[in-house]
Amino acid sequence: MISVRGVRKAFGSATVLDGIDLDVHSGEVVSILGSSGSGKSTLIRCMNGLEKLDGGRITIDDFDVSRPKELSEARKRSATVFQLFNLYPHMTAVQNIALAPVEVLKIPRKQAEADARTLLDSVGLSARADAFPAQLSGGQRQRVGICRALAMKPRYLLLDEITSALDPEMTSDVLAILAKLAHDGTTMVFVTHEIEFARTISSRIVFLDKGQLVVDLPTAEFFAADGGMAKPRIAQFLSKMRKD
Amino acid sequence: MLALAGSLCIGTVVAALVTSASPLLSRIAYVYVDLFRNIPFIVQLFFFFYGLPEIGIYIDAFTTGVIALSIAGGAFTSDVIRSGILSIDPGILEAAEVSGLSKPTIFRKIVMPIALRTSVRPLGSVFINLILTSSILSTITLNELTGSAKIVASDTFRPFEIYAVLLVAYACLTYLVSLAIGALHRYLNRDQTEAA
Repeated sequence: MISVRGVRKAFGSATVLDGIDLDVHSGEVVSILGSSGSGKSTLIRCMNGLEKLDGGRITIDDFDVSRPKELSEARKRSATVFQLFNLYPHMTAVQNIALAPVEVLKIPRKQAEADARTLLDSVGLSARADAFPAQLSGGQRQRVGICRALAMKPRYLLLDEITSALDPEMTSDVLAILAKLAHDGTTMVFVTHEIEFARTISSRIVFLDKGQLVVDLPTAEFFAADGGMAKPRIAQFLSKMRKD
Repeated sequence: MLALAGSLCIGTVVAALVTSASPLLSRIAYVYVDLFRNIPFIVQLFFFFYGLPEIGIYIDAFTTGVIALSIAGGAFTSDVIRSGILSIDPGILEAAEVSGLSKPTIFRKIVMPIALRTSVRPLGSVFINLILTSSILSTITLNELTGSAKIVASDTFRPFEIYAVLLVAYACLTYLVSLAIGALHRYLNRDQTEAA
């Protein structure tokens, strides 16, 4: 379980997260919604230990991400996919995916690369396995990014606006992969602006506004007229997103 | 060759220290770079060869030459590698960090290969400069190319021919380094050429 308790984070005088409480249980798909600057990406960055907390505590399977000795264990259990892919430019797709399994999980290189090719095949990229990131389209790069995360066999997948840099066609390719992962029972926490997609695959929806958690509801309740939609801020947000 | 390898090793370590999270290590590395980059090489050389024996440290001319060139070259090399490291997209390093890779592994497998993609050409200039600077070693009785040429010229009284050969020798040597650096640059950036 990912447990977030009373998390506070500020950059200078700007408070970005203000007392966030959240639990993510195994098998859940939790979407984090909110307008730009609401703290969604910062929350993901706090979960994977990229940001130091100013207060509160985050544990992944009881490993505290704020403690250096426990962070490596927490990171073995979670994997992150980034908005801008962040692939290693000097390595091929296979090498990008196999690096961490070889170095961290100590899987023999041949096996790790065979596993990487299987993963690439599952996302329709077997023909591009030996291509460098610069030779791939945005959607292909993001699919490699997802494979790189899955190669670590994580219990939790953290996804930070992974379709924001993609065009609609590429977005649908990537979302199809996420839908498959959700169907297979992968635990996911994802920050997204794809409202309808979040509605389709999420078990819960969390809405952040100005660093505070406004609602945390099962998906059906979130979109119900007497549920999340009853809150003016959420209704306004959803209305704007649907117009866009 | 030893001095080139030495300056690359020293430069890599110093660049790692300069860009490290430790303010103390970073400060020490900066002092080294500022010190050896801003003092004429011949002064450093004389200090090592003529100065150190006065306090009981005797090093032969060859070893002094290699050490002095490595230390002086390391200061320039570290600056080039540092700028390559700083040009890396921080998101790439974050991706490596969250995947659980250790700091030494990230430096070895991610940071250096990416930094070298942009640094390799300026590194070539540093290396060529080191080869040319090595001619100064003749001032401490070390018979490298220039020192040997001086001896032969004074023995044969044929300075025109001897120094003409020396000119060609230095030109060939530096041209070979340029070719090697060019090949390494193309290899490290092969994804760009293949993508184009």
